[in-house]
Amino acid sequence: MKRIIYTCPYVPAEWIAAHGLQPSRVIPDAAEATAPLGRAEGVCPYVQGFINEVITDKQACGVVITTVCDQMRRAFDILVRRSDVPVFLMNVPNTWQNVGVQKLYIDELKRLGRFLTGLGGKSPLGDALTEIMLKYDTARKSILAARGYLSAGRYAEKIAAFGRDGPGRMTNNTTGLEPIIEGVPLAIVGGPLMRRDFDILDIAEQAGGRIVLDATETGERGMCMPFDRRRLPVAAWPRHDGRDEPLMELANAYFGGIQDVSRRPNSELYKWLKSKFTDREVRGIIFHRYVWCDMWHAELRRLKDWTDLPVLDIDTTGDNETRRHRTANRIHAFLETL
Amino acid sequence: MSDKPERITLEEWDLRYEQLQRAGTCQPNYGGPLSRHVADGDQRLLKLRYDNSAAALRLWNFLLTEEDRLHDARAGGKKLIGTMKDLGTVPVMAYSFDNIVAFYPDGAWWIPCVMELSAGLLSIADSLGIDESFCPVRAMLGAFVTGAHFPVPDRLICSAGATCDDFSAIAQRLSSLGHPILWWEIPHRRRPDPDEAAVNLPGGFTAPKCQVEFVKSELERIKTAVEETAGEQLDEKKLSAGIKEANQVRRYLAELRHLAFTAELCPIPALEMLIAEMLAIHFCSDRRETIEVLKELLDEVQARVQAGVGILDADAAKIFWVNPVADLQVMNLLEDCGGRICGTEYLFTHALHEIPENLPPLEALARMTLADPMVGSSTDRAERICADIRKLGSEAIIISRIPGASHCALEGQVIGEIVQEEFNIPVLEIEVPPVTDSMRPTVRTRLEALVETVKARRKR
Repeated sequence: MKRIIYTCPYVPAEWIAAHGLQPSRVIPDAAEATAPLGRAEGVCPYVQGFINEVITDKQACGVVITTVCDQMRRAFDILVRRSDVPVFLMNVPNTWQNVGVQKLYIDELKRLGRFLTGLGGKSPLGDALTEIMLKYDTARKSILAARGYLSAGRYAEKIAAFGRDGPGRMTNNTTGLEPIIEGVPLAIVGGPLMRRDFDILDIAEQAGGRIVLDATETGERGMCMPFDRRRLPVAAWPRHDGRDEPLMELANAYFGGIQDVSRRPNSELYKWLKSKFTDREVRGIIFHRYVWCDMWHAELRRLKDWTDLPVLDIDTTGDNETRRHRTANRIHAFLETL
Repeated sequence: MSDKPERITLEEWDLRYEQLQRAGTCQPNYGGPLSRHVADGDQRLLKLRYDNSAAALRLWNFLLTEEDRLHDARAGGKKLIGTMKDLGTVPVMAYSFDNIVAFYPDGAWWIPCVMELSAGLLSIADSLGIDESFCPVRAMLGAFVTGAHFPVPDRLICSAGATCDDFSAIAQRLSSLGHPILWWEIPHRRRPDPDEAAVNLPGGFTAPKCQVEFVKSELERIKTAVEETAGEQLDEKKLSAGIKEANQVRRYLAELRHLAFTAELCPIPALEMLIAEMLAIHFCSDRRETIEVLKELLDEVQARVQAGVGILDADAAKIFWVNPVADLQVMNLLEDCGGRICGTEYLFTHALHEIPENLPPLEALARMTLADPMVGSSTDRAERICADIRKLGSEAIIISRIPGASHCALEGQVIGEIVQEEFNIPVLEIEVPPVTDSMRPTVRTRLEALVETVKARRKR
């Protein structure tokens, strides 16, 4: 099956799958400098890593990038010039409070659909979209239910595997496991983590913490909200009466359900965090950001002012061992204070 | 001191001012010797070189008295709108009202330069978690905190969507400090699909019709909000009249740019041209006076061109400049090194092109919004720059990086590559912080090398 790669959580995998293509959410391994990008000064390491991944990926038949952040928007310009694989730039609005921008998001999904069809995908017919949405929804519920039984690292890997491979290869590997209750409950908050930075989760747990909330973009926060199954009638999309219920529900769960720092205003992110911190009795926050990521960097002081919880700032370049030791030392010291 | 066009120091301007006074030159009510602004803390003025015309004096005084105008406007019962990021669109609408004055708090990004970091705005931004890894526009946060550089507006309106991350993040930080913002969306401008209805935009870009319609609906929302603030309705007739006035500014600027970039002898310095172009975005808080200031400047430039006189040597290297500089002195430096500006793209070309007057006014403004070079791809921007270089015969291009700006990390490569592929002319990328003093020798050497390269290529 032809593979379509992307990394932004606002790209609904179900929509790609409904076109008969394999959606695969790429999480870059690290931000090593490579020739395609040339000078990397000022470039967000995650964007750098993503560009490298796309250029070295020989299996993908299409790439989807979104406008959620400016550097990723501009990565599109680089990839169009450096990669032979067709690239699609999807407009994801930053504002969210009016019907116009919600419609814009849906129109962009339809335009994405035309791009996918152009790559050999098929138009979603019959119950295909609904069926796929239900399958993904069930898998996401299963992942969320496993959280209390897995280390944070394994949980993050499980989410990453779901994004990469879809629900097809998922296994329920929590049978027989006891819930994890040891450790100081922590949240990790920030943008996406590159794979090599997943070790931060292990470091925190080895130091006596327990990540009860992975509020990174590659963690729970980047998962869409559960679908309202009442809105997924068997009658399929596109319907003869012109109504797009499954697509509307898909858009609602992604565009309306993922709370991100890039939103203007991003007040809903703070509401979401507050609710999760309370529910999970979080006692400390690891704030992870990549250097040159202005969106997250700008929120650090605000978060510290907003919450009574202690906040540890971890800024990384995503590329070396020195960073790892420094990060480990800081996390150990943080947990000692808790 | 003669009337021969030349670049002079601030000290020389005091003498020149007396000379003009004696000659009976009329001054507007904000006029006076330029050096008086140093007492306000504008230390950088001591290190700049200025055009010696009465028109330039008026331009500088107009620029440096904007804060007074804003206070006067408020005292006179007008409402103040702080428009942020869109660089030129919302002010056209706002100035169509009788009792609204709009300005860009973003303009605070030049305060650290003009006051040589003495205002402490960047330190305040630091204390709010917005450090030097962000664009110098972070000075805006400090200006809101101190309230010392502009009155806090009655309403803030900021565009989001296809914008740079640093500005968007800083504006969000401002909002979190208790300054409510009305956000509006500008989508990334894309090229229309082959089977899609397309619209031509001012300046030559195209966009899908649906994007124009979307932006128009966002502008309707802004209009309603400004009407609430103004307590006054804005009908099509008034908005059309506002567009006509804005176009007068743009027409003068178009003529100025044409003469400045193409005259055999450069008739006006780069620094004054940069400031003149900046007037287009919010009219320096007085649209009527902007028109008068530009008219006088244009008259001066036309007279110089007609007389065959200029302020630089005839063999000055013709440089196309991309992005505005955070340190104004660098524009002087280019000329000191033997270069002259021959084409600019300071991020707001959409504020320079005439707005269509034969369309419903909101649609015309929507088209202008989408003509913003920064809401489209770097490739589009580069191609537009290429079109200007072709027209103007620029011999090299300087891409001036704004420290910390999210767009500068990747766009320079794309623009540089495309320009080189098209023209095979030298491309220089430099970073310009708000005060370049410590790196001046380096910047100077690089500019000199570029100018030498350009001149050497002429001999081939």
